[in-house]
Amino acid sequence: MAHAFDNRTQLTPPSKEVRHQTLKQMFEKRDRLTQQTGHYCGVTELTLRAADPIKYERFYNKLHAAVLAARESARFVAASPGSREMGESLWGLATPEGDTLAVSLGFLSHTAIFPVSVRYMAEKEYDVNDGIEDGDVYAVSDGLTGGVPHPGDFYSFVAICYEGEIVGWAVGINHLMENGAPVSGSWATFSVDTFMDGLVCPPMRTGRKLKQESWWKAIWQRRTRAATMNILDDKMRLAGCAMVHDATHKLIKEFGLEYYKRATREIIEESRRMIVDNMHSLMVPGTYNGCAFRLVKYKGLQQIWSHADKNTLLHIRASVEPNDKGLLVDTEGSSRWGYHSYNATPGGADAALFLGMMNSFAHNTKVTAGIELAVQRHYPSGSLYNPDYEFTSNANLWAQTVSLNSIGFNAISRAMFSRGYLEEAFTVDGNWGAWQGSGQTDQGVSYGFTNFEWLGGTGRGAWCYKDGEPIVWAAWSQLATCGDAEEFESCVPPLFYLGRKLLPGYFGHGKYRGGPGNSAVHWCVKPGKHIAVTRPNGGLSCTTSVGLGMSGAYPGPGSFMISARDTNLPALIETGETPRDARELLELVDAGKLEVANLEIWKTDCPELALKDNDLFVDAAGSSGGWGDPLDRDPALVIKDLNDGMAPRYEFTANLYGIVATQDAAGVWTLDADATAARRKAMRHARLADSQSAQDWWAAERTRVLARDFIPEVREMYEQSMSFAKFDNEFRKFWQVPAAFNFPKE
Amino acid sequence: MTQDVSISPELIGQLIDGTIDNDNAQRLLRLERKDKGRFFQYIEALQQRVAWKEKILLRLGDKLYIVASAPGQRIVKCACGHEFGDYRQNWKLGCRVRVKRSLDDMLTVYDPAPACPEPDIQEIREFFCPACATQHAVEVVAPGYPVVFEMLPDLDKFYREYLGQPLPDEGTDWYQDRSDDVTREWAKAG
Repeated sequence: MAHAFDNRTQLTPPSKEVRHQTLKQMFEKRDRLTQQTGHYCGVTELTLRAADPIKYERFYNKLHAAVLAARESARFVAASPGSREMGESLWGLATPEGDTLAVSLGFLSHTAIFPVSVRYMAEKEYDVNDGIEDGDVYAVSDGLTGGVPHPGDFYSFVAICYEGEIVGWAVGINHLMENGAPVSGSWATFSVDTFMDGLVCPPMRTGRKLKQESWWKAIWQRRTRAATMNILDDKMRLAGCAMVHDATHKLIKEFGLEYYKRATREIIEESRRMIVDNMHSLMVPGTYNGCAFRLVKYKGLQQIWSHADKNTLLHIRASVEPNDKGLLVDTEGSSRWGYHSYNATPGGADAALFLGMMNSFAHNTKVTAGIELAVQRHYPSGSLYNPDYEFTSNANLWAQTVSLNSIGFNAISRAMFSRGYLEEAFTVDGNWGAWQGSGQTDQGVSYGFTNFEWLGGTGRGAWCYKDGEPIVWAAWSQLATCGDAEEFESCVPPLFYLGRKLLPGYFGHGKYRGGPGNSAVHWCVKPGKHIAVTRPNGGLSCTTSVGLGMSGAYPGPGSFMISARDTNLPALIETGETPRDARELLELVDAGKLEVANLEIWKTDCPELALKDNDLFVDAAGSSGGWGDPLDRDPALVIKDLNDGMAPRYEFTANLYGIVATQDAAGVWTLDADATAARRKAMRHARLADSQSAQDWWAAERTRVLARDFIPEVREMYEQSMSFAKFDNEFRKFWQVPAAFNFPKE
Repeated sequence: MTQDVSISPELIGQLIDGTIDNDNAQRLLRLERKDKGRFFQYIEALQQRVAWKEKILLRLGDKLYIVASAPGQRIVKCACGHEFGDYRQNWKLGCRVRVKRSLDDMLTVYDPAPACPEPDIQEIREFFCPACATQHAVEVVAPGYPVVFEMLPDLDKFYREYLGQPLPDEGTDWYQDRSDDVTREWAKAG
């Protein structure tokens, strides 16, 4: 058979002589010089900046302007609301090794994946067989080989070559509306492995000379449910990359190739130094610990895939330790990977972890790969963050990695609080929500969709000196916005907003409360032949988004959703009394006004829910945590919340905050200051009376631990986390259990 | 690379007391580089706000401090004066603890009801000062989870290398987690 290949050289042009270093050689040099010197690529002196700082800054600003212009122009090519009007896109310019030089506005931490993708291409010798040429276009959406957080985030890489040498990459990214998995939408919940994650592309060439090849369009049309939007988004990414490609060529012609090569190294080294210095200037050295949990509730829903038909309690554990090189984030003790969609890969974990790191330490410097050089990561092999199985699903990675980011970000908040930079200290929660699905109109037109609204704008956690604000924040983008309701209605023809608003009382309580989350009521009208939705969330309410409150406050509650199917909604429309949020819906049901034959409350991912006329789909997400002891809250702020409608239940509020107030005929609340003081005093006494010493509590709990008296999900969580030495040691020392004690596999 | 701008003691006091206005808070947030003298100004302002005299080394929480109680002693102290002991041992182990395990109990701090954590999967632990009953910490964790040591600072490195003013009792054995000394004693006590 081998002779069949003998004439191969006659079929294809002979390989070009390699006149420059291969990508693999470039990586070897980059890694060696950086490791040996502790400076990026061995750049110990910023010689160009020192010699002519104006020229150097002019050079960088042209790079930066190119990526900013790319976003501001190209996003209007897009059809999907997330990319066009929200923050779900980004453009960047990177070195030949994928190290970021400049990024646009948007979800900037996604730069973490650039070097993962390029390193894979280098290791597999893409540039040798059969070469990488100027303007080649690569598609990437794989977590393992591309570092992509989840396949719903899609990347276009365009090679920038100068005189045959790879000198950089233009990269465009956006979050797709639909990526063709068994579960419609862009986060394939209930995936068991990567083969259910939808359109997963390891780095693969899809175009030449800044033009996609014809077959690529067929992929979007045949392998996704939102071809029109995805094709336009693909054109958008490429259009932006073409602008960056063009600007880079012009820049090299203007400054010269040698200047370009040296300056790009200096830019990254300069920002690395600044980031390390910022860490030193803003933090307190030591060890910061944080934890979070997520419930993967698959039992009874995965009977076809019997190995995945189980519930899993995920443990997210991390410590942060500032050091001379920056800081170390160690995730040892987190759960092992599993047959579910919540797994991460190192690149995807970086994309989450760098959110807080960039926001906190790259605010006054050039946003580059400097953050990657300053933040050392430990993702133990076999764990949720570094699976030792190559086919894990990572479709819903964000649902738990946002908590990893929150743990790191909260460590920074604690440090700045201790350091005295109180203006920066706030509670970080990662609770977002979105919904997704697919349908078919009466005319037979199929469509898939994602609604990003509660991902785009969430409540901000309480500051250490004031309440958190509503809707203004999104940890993953500087461009917090929940988007236009009309845009989302146009994307999902049968679903209309009956309500879209802040959800009163939906936050973590404390001396300062978190910013409230949001809720919407989606009304199904004329669903066509079919419509069904699912919901992947960044923190569902069976657990809080993060495990630790700040300074005595409660963490923000998780997100949830309600499906109300088979309703008497037309009767309510007649009266004009329809629900505008989750709370109102439940109150109308309790009052017997809204009749629902099939009412379900979902505190974990919901399976596909088919909707009919007058069915309602209600969500709540984006809440955030408080700061400080609730009994220290200024009573006047509690009264303000009562009068503003932000604290809708007096009894609940009064019992939690220890206030006494009266309401007049007009509904206005007034504080009874003396009664409040007395009540708070009594509540402090009650705290001591109702509690036990830590020693007594420990002794009782230890008995339970020794008996392994927990539900199976909790037992398995400990079994997994104790398979890593660091948590095993912590657990054993804390509970003082015998050496033979363990949580056996069940 | 902090800068030599100076923030007035009044403004720092307003930050601590929660009375700062949004304009000033924004102004501080937008500093390209933070004022490097802030820490000692902060400590001075905090010292004025507590009724006791021990020198504050670091603030851990709204009402929780690491203080130098005597030469060679660094302890955690509540604003009310209660002393939790050696700062290398997790101060939560000196607290009163109240745990909310049932849905009814959890509904006293989370609202609306669907936002409530799931019993058996999670429990809510409240940590109170044994003297003044301040709620210093909340954990929402799985049952059986070891109490989390939220922050163990390396004070000597901080004061020598970050602030340039070494502590008089610096030594190599300060930066250690000694919480298991406590649980070991508890185990012996049976």
